[in-house]
Amino acid sequence: MTTKRVAVMKELLSFTGIEPDRLRLEWVSAAEGPKFAQAISEFTSRIKTLGPSRLKVAA
Amino acid sequence: MSEKVRAKVKDLLDSGRIKGFLGLRQADGHLGPHLFTDGRELDALAVGDLKRPGDTRYPLNKQLLTLMRCDPDDSFGVLVRGCDERGLKTLITWNQVDPAKVVAVGIACPPELAAACECLKPYPDEFVDGGKVEGSTFASVATVDALDLHSRLTHWLHEFSKCVKCYGCRDICPMCFCKECSLEQEDLIHTGDLPPENPIFHLTRAVHMAGRCIDCGLCNEACPADIPLRTLYKKVAEIIAQEFDYRPGYVEPGEKPPLNILGEAPEH
Repeated sequence: MTTKRVAVMKELLSFTGIEPDRLRLEWVSAAEGPKFAQAISEFTSRIKTLGPSRLKVAA
Repeated sequence: MSEKVRAKVKDLLDSGRIKGFLGLRQADGHLGPHLFTDGRELDALAVGDLKRPGDTRYPLNKQLLTLMRCDPDDSFGVLVRGCDERGLKTLITWNQVDPAKVVAVGIACPPELAAACECLKPYPDEFVDGGKVEGSTFASVATVDALDLHSRLTHWLHEFSKCVKCYGCRDICPMCFCKECSLEQEDLIHTGDLPPENPIFHLTRAVHMAGRCIDCGLCNEACPADIPLRTLYKKVAEIIAQEFDYRPGYVEPGEKPPLNILGEAPEH
């Protein structure tokens, strides 16, 4: 269900002009510390590349 | 207003099949909803200006819902265009209307109206008056799709900033039947801001329209700030159609929307 919603949300974000990469879905169990760390590192570095959102700047 | 519709309604009323017919009536220079309960008052039945959207359409399904909630035992008739019929089917899907208690009397829209509405199917499955007109494509969606990401955000932020938060889009929407609305939840959206939290307010509504919006366009007509809401919801409908091969109102009543069931995940 979440996979479906996120897929729809990404397209909607793209249509409204927000980078869809700002939304990411990942399944990580409580026992998967390294995986969690890696996912977050990847995500933050992606976000840093994108830079501050124009929504944030506008506000 | 055609004699065919009047005759059909008179038949339904006189035979006792329905207790009342929900249609439009011209009164004091205005067109408004009216529940006809007597075959003799049908002279006043009207359909409005057929050349353009405006007074032509009315969220009769919304009145029907209220009516059926107050009087669940009786059957009612309702005037439907293509869009209203899609709405009715979707309300049946969402268990808001008992199909056994509704008789739809369909009319097809003229070409001018169909074009102005960018309607995919400007006629109900069955209609007693009017002719079948080919549907139009979603030109307004393509216009925004053609922009780059930066211009899209500029476009929508500008449009949404015009919002006066009258809730007109929600209040006129025949698919908005929830008793509690997310748009009024302080935890989800800041209340008291004008324009409302941009773009969260409108995106929240857009997400709620996924698998639900039947593209009647009444929100667009109701909006005092002329925000092209329909374009936004048309895109949502397009996403749902592409991802899940589901178009609300165009599928048989009862076929559940993709976001309400587990089903298949999108392919990418």
